[in-house]
Amino acid sequence: MNLHRDEIKTALRAKVVDLARAIHLDASALTDDDILPATGLLDSNAILELVVWFETTYDFPIKQEEINIDNLGSINAMADFLLSRKR
Amino acid sequence: MAAPQTVPCVNINDEVVQVVGINVKPGDFVKTGDVIGAVETDKSLLDVVAEQDGYVLRIECQPEQKVRVGSVMFWFGNAPDEPVPEEALAAPQAASQGGQPTAKARVMLNELGLDPARIPQSGERLTVADIETWLAGAGKGRSTSAPPPAPTMPEDSPSVPGTLEELSLEAAGMLNTVSWHRDRAAAAYLEMEYDPKPWEEHAARYATEQKLMLSPLLPLMAFRLAVLGRERPMINATIVGNQRYQYGALNLGFTVQVGEMLYLTVVRDAQDMDAARFIGALGEVQRHAMGHRLPAKEATGATLSFSSMARWNVSRHIPILPPYTSLIVAHAAPRGTGSALLGASYDHRLLTGFAVAQVLQALSQPPA
Repeated sequence: MNLHRDEIKTALRAKVVDLARAIHLDASALTDDDILPATGLLDSNAILELVVWFETTYDFPIKQEEINIDNLGSINAMADFLLSRKR
Repeated sequence: MAAPQTVPCVNINDEVVQVVGINVKPGDFVKTGDVIGAVETDKSLLDVVAEQDGYVLRIECQPEQKVRVGSVMFWFGNAPDEPVPEEALAAPQAASQGGQPTAKARVMLNELGLDPARIPQSGERLTVADIETWLAGAGKGRSTSAPPPAPTMPEDSPSVPGTLEELSLEAAGMLNTVSWHRDRAAAAYLEMEYDPKPWEEHAARYATEQKLMLSPLLPLMAFRLAVLGRERPMINATIVGNQRYQYGALNLGFTVQVGEMLYLTVVRDAQDMDAARFIGALGEVQRHAMGHRLPAKEATGATLSFSSMARWNVSRHIPILPPYTSLIVAHAAPRGTGSALLGASYDHRLLTGFAVAQVLQALSQPPA
């Protein structure tokens, strides 16, 4: 498991692009600071899929109450959240 | 003395499960709680944990084998070379007759007018599988070391040449569900047009107030349905025999599509929840479904259900009634006019169109 910040963000971005493509949307222009729910690229289902993938890939359980904009709202936020939990 | 551990029950409606994996071998020592294998049904995957400390003496099944719930799966002992009782190594229990039927078997016997005393049973109780086997005039279970015999072509097959193939567990589960809808319920459907904007605005305000990352629109609508189920108990009931079966709890079923798999996730005891708690609970079961790790209690026991295909821009769908439910609401995407359809499949043996229309009308508006 690669815990280098840039690698984490690359993997996250690729997953977001995949999930958006599944509902026929193009997320290739997404930036690391874009607030994911506000972009309209991922609906709630897709955001939950992203969270589940994130938990599984990096082996860190996320509590339901931790699913919020502060922790998981953007690619940068997600990477920071993961790294803070893994330290 | 050698002690057996049996195949666990995953879902109360499933009498057969498929072995996914065996994590131990004869001679291994396990402690209570160790994961020693896994079984699955069409809806759930369940880790099998050791129920006792001891040495694995014998394993009665292997991966990909379908096994009956309650049959012996493992034998454990205090020493690795402890003998397994001779009678346990014999062929599967010879068919016997006259055992107490399971609840599902009793319903089937009544519906078909069968005498249980005429039907051989393969275990302690007469099961639906025993009845179906007897009806089909089938022989004994297949050997696990040989490929299954090719199914014989039934008389009512299509005229175009083709081959019969076994269904996957998921497909078999869907067939069971659809068959219940077709064969047991008097399934009907109605829909009404409504303006989705008040609900969208209500959900947006709620999300802002609660600082939610996910849109609560569908969870709030499902919660509203649960509230209506509390207020109108008739929609939280089903028919058993010729009587109404009024559920004591309200378990809200919510469909979740994960890849090719369609799950009916269940939030149990929704009648005791407020909106925030329900939304949190629904989020949890949705995540479990997405990880293909729904425990049995989150995949079974729905008494009232909600389904949406809006994310695929579907503007109308007619859902199948989950077994032993009388109402499932169908939420869809807004149409070009801006209005949307709110529909419901219902069991007309219990509910009238008027009763369902009243529910849909109440559901079409957010709470005041």
